[in-house]
Amino acid sequence: MVSIFRSTTAAAFMLAAGVVSANAEIKIGVLYPIAGTGAVYGTPAMYGHNMAVDEVNAAGGIMGQKVVSFARDTKLKPAAAAAAAKELITKEGVDVLVGGLSSAVGLAISEVARQEGVVYIATIPKTIQMTTKKLHKHVFRTSSHTDFEGDAIAQIVKKLGKKSVCDIQLDYAYGHDLAAGIEKGLAKHAPNVKKVIDLRSKLGATDYNAQITQILGSGCDVVTSGLWGSHFVNFAQQAKPFGLFDRVTYISGGEIASHEIAGKMGKDYPDNVISNSYELWYDHTFPGHKKFQADLAKRSGKKETAMWPVLAYIGVKFIEAAGNKAGTMDADKFAAALEGMTIKTPVGDRTIDPKTHQANTGQFWGPMVKKSGVDYRVMSPVTWYPATLD
Amino acid sequence: MDMLLSSPSFAFIQVLNSISLGMNLFIIAAGLSLIFGVLRVINFAHGVFYMFGAYIMYTVSKDLQLGFFTGVIAAALGLAIIAIIVERGLFQWLYDKEHLLQLLLTFAIVLIMGDMAKIIWGTDQLSVSYPEGFGGASNLGFTFYPTYRLMLCVVGPLIFLGLWFLIERTRWGRLTRAATQDMEMLSALGINVPVIYVTIFVIGSALAGVGGSLAAPINSPTPGMDATIIVECFVIVIIGGLGSLWGTFVGALIYGFVFNFGSVIVPNWQDVFAFLLLMAVLLIRPWGLFGKPEQEGH
Repeated sequence: MVSIFRSTTAAAFMLAAGVVSANAEIKIGVLYPIAGTGAVYGTPAMYGHNMAVDEVNAAGGIMGQKVVSFARDTKLKPAAAAAAAKELITKEGVDVLVGGLSSAVGLAISEVARQEGVVYIATIPKTIQMTTKKLHKHVFRTSSHTDFEGDAIAQIVKKLGKKSVCDIQLDYAYGHDLAAGIEKGLAKHAPNVKKVIDLRSKLGATDYNAQITQILGSGCDVVTSGLWGSHFVNFAQQAKPFGLFDRVTYISGGEIASHEIAGKMGKDYPDNVISNSYELWYDHTFPGHKKFQADLAKRSGKKETAMWPVLAYIGVKFIEAAGNKAGTMDADKFAAALEGMTIKTPVGDRTIDPKTHQANTGQFWGPMVKKSGVDYRVMSPVTWYPATLD
Repeated sequence: MDMLLSSPSFAFIQVLNSISLGMNLFIIAAGLSLIFGVLRVINFAHGVFYMFGAYIMYTVSKDLQLGFFTGVIAAALGLAIIAIIVERGLFQWLYDKEHLLQLLLTFAIVLIMGDMAKIIWGTDQLSVSYPEGFGGASNLGFTFYPTYRLMLCVVGPLIFLGLWFLIERTRWGRLTRAATQDMEMLSALGINVPVIYVTIFVIGSALAGVGGSLAAPINSPTPGMDATIIVECFVIVIIGGLGSLWGTFVGALIYGFVFNFGSVIVPNWQDVFAFLLLMAVLLIRPWGLFGKPEQEGH
């Protein structure tokens, strides 16, 4: 009788322990713009994030615990992003923050992460400041940065043998830092190239006529830029009638070679554009990409998938790897696990530099050309620019 | 700045840039001003009406391939229908209520229609092609200028003249102006005031739709595009005088010139000049350049 009682009690304790274990969760605070203007990027990013979380949970979670996401809309505004990050930490008690879109938003989230002592993995912001003068022990970046991007642009300027550059950027952290990155790259790769004009447009600008006519008047033979998303669409649509793309080569960061831009612009996409993308649905250079793209296509219901999901996907995969390695979600130990960590991704291996907390995230670069049978442009030839500044 | 002084053709192109920007904005802001002038409603939803105009243009000209000018008409009709629903279903109950309630209602419409746009058209940035024959540049003798922009320079003044004629030279226009003065007296004289109100709301909203459809080839239809335009429209109508057609026309031109030349002369301060002008107007002449102080409303 006593043994039955003991066994029953032990079983009850084990069950209770099991329940506790099953209920314990790893909470990820996710910060993307999921409404308003930024939803263009935030919505596909969430596809990648959710796909990665489902994969992690299907494989047993992190340290055997289920991963749960708490998504918040950053509204593409630093203040809103900071408030959401604080709320995620204090109210929801998230273990780690991930996401961010726009450099200004990324810096705002990073500051909250610093104050609250929670790890933040920036998956999209590219301002160099995040991993240089505003670096702290809890911020990590898995996206590229403006010095890598600027260096690649300068290498292409050199390769094309161009002599004079006009630069047009958006007037906020990303634009300013990319302009500086291009200048550093030009000084290194093409010191004889002359910068003719520096132009700035405000974030969200819709009219570029004044800038377009200044570029045409300045006589440069290449335009370097980081106008992204609808900024580029508007600029291109306004510049085409002026004949700008017949007179200059347009080399741009800001991932305007991604399919979400090329596919939607269709035959309106201009000539003579060389740009970049983190991922191209039609390029299977790296092992694992084919399966990733097929899964993403199934999930999003589109054969021709967007580029943003892979960035959010990689962020979650780093959380999985670091959590399992650290064996705890304690911020300091989790951060230590991220330092120097390498993971396999659908776009190549990624290693986080232990000093700068920056992943070696390279990008695909190439000219956007017409392709028979489809009404959108594709990058061809595709060249991989690794993330090195040597 | 140097180019402005050394090249007359560059300076002339900046003048055309300013006019075409101003005229595109005038078409949209005129509707906002017209609605305020008669209905005394500050319609924050005007920006989202503009956005719907751009999206309708995308659907008609790109998805359905029915042509650009069909898109303009469809945008006007689409917004007219939306305007009837909004005015008869919502606004008519709030004319005699305080302005705050009207503002809250228009803000609610912004949020609801913004989400509806995302459900219907998704969240991608879309692009609309120029109409056939308007995608290139026209030879002006000493320089080339985009044909589409030239068309905007012509369409804006035509819409201005049409509206001016309608309001100043027709019986219906006289009744409309009378409605702004004394709605009850007009009603007592046997005039169907609600019909005037709904017509004004339809015309104003259709102008937002037309403005959005005409802007679509140069402004990518995208969620949130309403937020930028509504600020620009308010700057224009406050400078010109809320409710004044002439004021809106001149305000739009001033905005176009200040923004464009500001971008050339002091590129990093392109927005500041328009807002400095706005502040000056608010301090010196709060009712705007062409507005009237303390107009009697209903």
